[in-house]
Amino acid sequence: MTREAETVREFRRGLLAALPLAPGVIAFGLLYGMMARQVGFTSWDALAMSFIVHAGSAQFIALGMWNVTGAAPIILTTLVVNLRHLLMGASVAPYLRGLSPLWKASLALWMSDESYALSIAAYERGEGSHGYFLGANVGVGLTWWASGWVGAVLGTAIPDPTRYGLELVFPLAFLGLLMAFLKDRLHLAVAGFAGLLALLGAHFLPGKWYVIVAGLAGSSAGLLLEEVKRRWKKS
Amino acid sequence: MEKILIFLGMALVTYFTRCTMIALLGREMPPLLRRWLRYVPAAVLAALVAPAALAPRGQLELGVQAWAALVGAVIAWRTRNVLWTILGGMAVFWILRVIGL
Repeated sequence: MTREAETVREFRRGLLAALPLAPGVIAFGLLYGMMARQVGFTSWDALAMSFIVHAGSAQFIALGMWNVTGAAPIILTTLVVNLRHLLMGASVAPYLRGLSPLWKASLALWMSDESYALSIAAYERGEGSHGYFLGANVGVGLTWWASGWVGAVLGTAIPDPTRYGLELVFPLAFLGLLMAFLKDRLHLAVAGFAGLLALLGAHFLPGKWYVIVAGLAGSSAGLLLEEVKRRWKKS
Repeated sequence: MEKILIFLGMALVTYFTRCTMIALLGREMPPLLRRWLRYVPAAVLAALVAPAALAPRGQLELGVQAWAALVGAVIAWRTRNVLWTILGGMAVFWILRVIGL
């Protein structure tokens, strides 16, 4: 098989892998579109925001601020809410070494929490590739853009999509993907510690800070435990 | 027009957070850094799950979401399959909703 055909095949695999998450994306997309109309967006404004910004949580928060504050606070908040992607980007970076700058740039463009989780778990299982990553990015992206536009077109004509518990789709998917990383007790401890910190953080910290704090502290604790274990064995 | 400018500003800072590390950590990295990064996915994914399952409304509660996540965790552990995890967890959520828990 040629290199291009292989990449196309991998792209399709990534696209398909994003499919089970679609109900969750659609529920949030519809909600986003409805909210966008309420702050005075046209359906095209809503689509443009999704396509240009492509960051779900930040878009919701921006809509909440839209008629209240100016441009600077909205952009600054977007930056803060998305800081967690620094951590995600760092952890996926070792797998992307050797790719061309163009590939790296396009993979970073539409990386979402969901497509990151799908791709890093695939890499962990030895089934990941840049084609798969791009496929997952585009799969989540297409669903997000389309559902946001539809939500804005329908306005309040549809029932509240969160009524069906579809906000649970993402945590369930993350749970399924988390299993690939629980190879030993050390990783299990890291996940447990990070989960606990995230619970505390979600209660006491604003926005998405809990992901950054729990991600940094959890992974650092893992490295520390690994060092302690190594010294222990040596002595 | 002003809208588009704000969108572009939001896109710029978002892209900064996504591409910085991918671009910076492109070449050789210190072994310690690489070992640390190996723990990041488990920590980040657990951080994304815990509050949504155990405190969906901001307060700690053992509600429908927690039971759905518990069953989801068992299915995820046994099958390692994302689709089954989602379907199983959602099924528990809907059943508990219907019987009024």
